[in-house]
Amino acid sequence: MALNLIVNSSNPPLGALLAAEHVKGTVNVSVQEGKDTKLHVSDQVQFNDVNSITRYLARVAPSLGLYGSNMLEQTEVDHWLEFSVRRLCGQSKVAPALGELDRALALRTFLVGHSLTLADLCVWAALKGSGEWQAIQASKSGSFRHLYRWFSFLSSQAPF
Amino acid sequence: MPMYQNGEVDPALQALEARQDEILRRLYELKAAVDGLAKTVTTPDADLDATTLSQGSTASVFTGTTDLDSLLGKDLGALRDIVINANPTRPPLSLLVLHGLLCQKYRVLSSVHVHSSVSSVPPQLLSCLGPRHADSYARHHFQLGFTLIWKDVPHVQMKFSTQKMCPIEGEASVARFLFRLLAAEPRDAAAATQVDGWIDTAVFQMAEGSAKERAAVLRALNSALGRGSWLVGQELSLADIVCASSVLQTGSASSAPPNVQRWLKCCENLGYFSCISPLLP
Repeated sequence: MALNLIVNSSNPPLGALLAAEHVKGTVNVSVQEGKDTKLHVSDQVQFNDVNSITRYLARVAPSLGLYGSNMLEQTEVDHWLEFSVRRLCGQSKVAPALGELDRALALRTFLVGHSLTLADLCVWAALKGSGEWQAIQASKSGSFRHLYRWFSFLSSQAPF
Repeated sequence: MPMYQNGEVDPALQALEARQDEILRRLYELKAAVDGLAKTVTTPDADLDATTLSQGSTASVFTGTTDLDSLLGKDLGALRDIVINANPTRPPLSLLVLHGLLCQKYRVLSSVHVHSSVSSVPPQLLSCLGPRHADSYARHHFQLGFTLIWKDVPHVQMKFSTQKMCPIEGEASVARFLFRLLAAEPRDAAAATQVDGWIDTAVFQMAEGSAKERAAVLRALNSALGRGSWLVGQELSLADIVCASSVLQTGSASSAPPNVQRWLKCCENLGYFSCISPLLP
């Protein structure tokens, strides 16, 4: 089964690309540039939004545990996927969302469970694309310490 | 020794009988005291009148499976309580439908509360989980708690197992969680992801979107329902429950295209949506 991920080159979907990078050893997925972002599974089945694309990739590579290891973790992953779409992507004021993330990460290395999941990929990708977060990082203001630690930890990993 | 002398009972025997009666009476008193204590121990509301409680009738009423341990991990003895905060101006209809389904599978202790951030709540929202359970004092008889709190929150929130899990925000994520208690997701990764796609569409574009977006969703639903009776696969899935709830909630049922109308009729015929009909606009 060969999957084909077509990405919009003017607005690349970072979350989907990260997920594709993580599963490429397990699943045969090719990445191509194009006009619109979509994951071509078969002639009948295609996914257009980032959350569906990452969910599908996580499901076809269950051994990687990107969707959590039990139903509680799975629900937390769902929560952060929705959070990244609703509270971070394309929002002008993200400070309240950053505060929430900072609190959630206070006692955690990864957002969900003890290993990397879609939650980390999608929230990281949403932050990467946020001008406000870039400004806060550049200012070195010392706020959102836990979030900063988590963000730079992930940024230093090979696939990111 | 003869038992009777001149038609009279031997005084020694009489004394013995009286003593036995006294012992029996004290035994009954002790038993009543122990029963009373047992009731206060199993009753969280200690001020409840113990004489009004019926004994031993609860266990036979319920039928259900106890496979929650395998889904949610070890049972720690306390009731697993699902606490949902929802805004009364936008009742999360899909969650109420799922509550009805949970009640068919598990013994659920449901309750509705009003948070102080909300001033008045219409009566139909207070009774939306059915009548208050007669056995609500005996929490250990139930497998799941379902506590709905009407509160001034921007989005639906769920708190469950708060030591292990972060609070979950959004109707879509909560609906996915509740449905996982009812059925496993489709084995096929594509089908499972299609279900998730429809849920996102219903919650982001139908429930919160503009009139134009709603019309687009109705067209997409209509063409998908032209290919089969249900949105994904051969049977009802969470996609149908969440999409139908949002179509009904936005009041676009009467103006919906034909396939959508037929599908709504099917959903209604299954009886899953009867609990939300008093809440519809």
